[in-house]
Amino acid sequence: MITASLLRRRSRMLIALLSIGIGATILSGLVTIAYDVPRQMGAQFRSYGANMILLPAGDTVLTEGTLEKALEVIPEENIAGASPYRYVRLDMPSRQQSFTAAGTDFSQVVKTSPYFSVEGDYPSNPREILIGKEIADTIGAKIGSSIQLSYKGSASDDGNGAADWTAGAHLMGSAEGFNEAVLTVELTLDEDARIASIDVDASSQTEEIGALVGTDREYLDQFIGQTLPVSADALSGATISSQAVVNAVNSARSGENAQALELTGIYNVTGILSTGGEEEAYIFMSLTDLSKLTGEEAPDGSGSVLDVAELSVFADVNELEAYSEDIKRENPEINPRLVKRVAHSEASVLGKLQALVILVTVVVLLLTMICVSTTMMAVVSERRREIGLRKALGASDRSIRTEFLGEGLFLGGLGGLMGVALGFGFAQFVSVHVFGSAIRFQPLLLPVTVVVSMLIAAVSCQLPIKRAVAIDPAIVLKGE
Amino acid sequence: MALLELKNVSKIYGELKALDNVNIKVEKGEWVAIMGPSGSGKSTMMNIIGCMDKPSLGEVLLDGVDISKEPQKRLTDIRRDKIGLIFQQFHMVTYLTAVENIMVSQYYHSMPDEEEALQALERVGLRERARHLPSQLSGGEQQRVCVARALINHPELILADEPTGNLDETNENIVLDLFSQLHNEGTTLIVVTHDPEVAEAAQRTIVLEHGRVAREVINENFGKNR
Repeated sequence: MITASLLRRRSRMLIALLSIGIGATILSGLVTIAYDVPRQMGAQFRSYGANMILLPAGDTVLTEGTLEKALEVIPEENIAGASPYRYVRLDMPSRQQSFTAAGTDFSQVVKTSPYFSVEGDYPSNPREILIGKEIADTIGAKIGSSIQLSYKGSASDDGNGAADWTAGAHLMGSAEGFNEAVLTVELTLDEDARIASIDVDASSQTEEIGALVGTDREYLDQFIGQTLPVSADALSGATISSQAVVNAVNSARSGENAQALELTGIYNVTGILSTGGEEEAYIFMSLTDLSKLTGEEAPDGSGSVLDVAELSVFADVNELEAYSEDIKRENPEINPRLVKRVAHSEASVLGKLQALVILVTVVVLLLTMICVSTTMMAVVSERRREIGLRKALGASDRSIRTEFLGEGLFLGGLGGLMGVALGFGFAQFVSVHVFGSAIRFQPLLLPVTVVVSMLIAAVSCQLPIKRAVAIDPAIVLKGE
Repeated sequence: MALLELKNVSKIYGELKALDNVNIKVEKGEWVAIMGPSGSGKSTMMNIIGCMDKPSLGEVLLDGVDISKEPQKRLTDIRRDKIGLIFQQFHMVTYLTAVENIMVSQYYHSMPDEEEALQALERVGLRERARHLPSQLSGGEQQRVCVARALINHPELILADEPTGNLDETNENIVLDLFSQLHNEGTTLIVVTHDPEVAEAAQRTIVLEHGRVAREVINENFGKNR
């Protein structure tokens, strides 16, 4: 009888149901979003780069091994990325300039520095590098260019591998010649550490011109008996190739070291990096390539030595600080720092966003209450006579109250269920269109929305019920 | 003992005396008409007897209980248990069918019993209209449903306010015949009307004027026409 009565009064009830339904939709939708926003925004914020950096503490050395150990403190699913960085100065012999090179892990750089804009591709193979736009402009390099880089590190303080120029040593070197093509030299030294023999592989140079530096004995004989630094008259018509031979000889190292350290190397440019920042003046290469070039290795064998590691972590400021404390406690050799600028702006934006969502939700709930209350008020005044009649037929105030409240709760419950379904759709829509990712359904939201809707309906019904109870049957039933 | 007795009943609204020291007695099983022009106090009296209003002064004894002293909540109970109401405008719940309208009355009294409600409809000759909504019933049919509704809980007293005021003559006669049957079964009837024909169908007519009982007329022809 009650459902039948609701069905036959469907238009009015539909409005009440609709208002509750819409209210519940907004409620459950916004709550879902508010709940999901930190996650969503967290992911968004991660595109602004790292929010924590790890530095070596005091005199200690940061290595790949210690970084890995430090990361164990943070749950894996919360780590968006962790990029190791090792900075060294590398020379570019062909231009007699030096640049800062950063050894890193490109698979992580993509995650910690999503704002990097790379023309071309990130290096994926050995001996591939990414160069900053500033460098590219300076040296006129393009994607596909080969660049020779050499390292004058602590391994040979005179910079030319003089330590390897020992009596009877067998040395190898290479350098960029004409058209950036590389030629190699092999040297044998006599008991006075002077050049006893020289072989040049100049097959990469122009045939009949540059290539002659590898075959012209007269030219090559100039080197015999020389020691560091060598000099030689250029072969006519092959100035560049000739200079390359000199460079190669001057950078030659013993075969053992040359293989292990590659104090010099030729690298292919796969991409040019634009960031608008200082990174444009850097050369990026894989840590492996850099280690080969510099021969640096942590004393305890825990991988390459690092200057810094950039971490991008899904966490708010408090969580970040907790992680930072944990890392410091468990790894005294590491000094973690929060990138405050990023972490704090994240927190303040999130806080504001959630406050806004809560405010909107409250306003919507108030509006829903007003709407439901108004509709129920209209229902009561529309049914004045019926209510009067029911009272005349013996309905107590209590049963009138129960009837309206029951109707309200029924509508609230139904509207709530409607709201859960529509709200999830709404939140999904907003999430996909605003944040570009899907959201998960929160099962707890079902009972919460239904209960809240019923509560709102119950509260909204109070004034209309008061009116209904106050109806005097003698007045509303009076004839004419 | 009289079923209903009004003793020195007055209802005063400020300066206006809607009822002025009225004394009336209605015996169990009696059929009484109350007549009078508009403003004579008919409605006020009807409301007081129907437990929807209280007198300013005097006593109203219904089945031995002074309803003028009872609290509002008790009045609702008394009305539900002892009185069946019939109105000029029928007053049916528009979205409920004929039988459901009768069941509403059962619901507040005790418990809805569809079979019993259908029997009541049968009694007023509308069993086949049980599933119709009020909008699908004629005025006469609606009022007959209301008569069925008024008698469903076996009240001591049926109180009808202008029951034929909105009906044509045919339907008026049908309703009056129903009243006659109820009277023959021993039901007490009080019918408020300004229609002399309706009044004449009753055993006794009480005429109100300016809130006082102007006169009482015993209908000598009672029972002869019906």
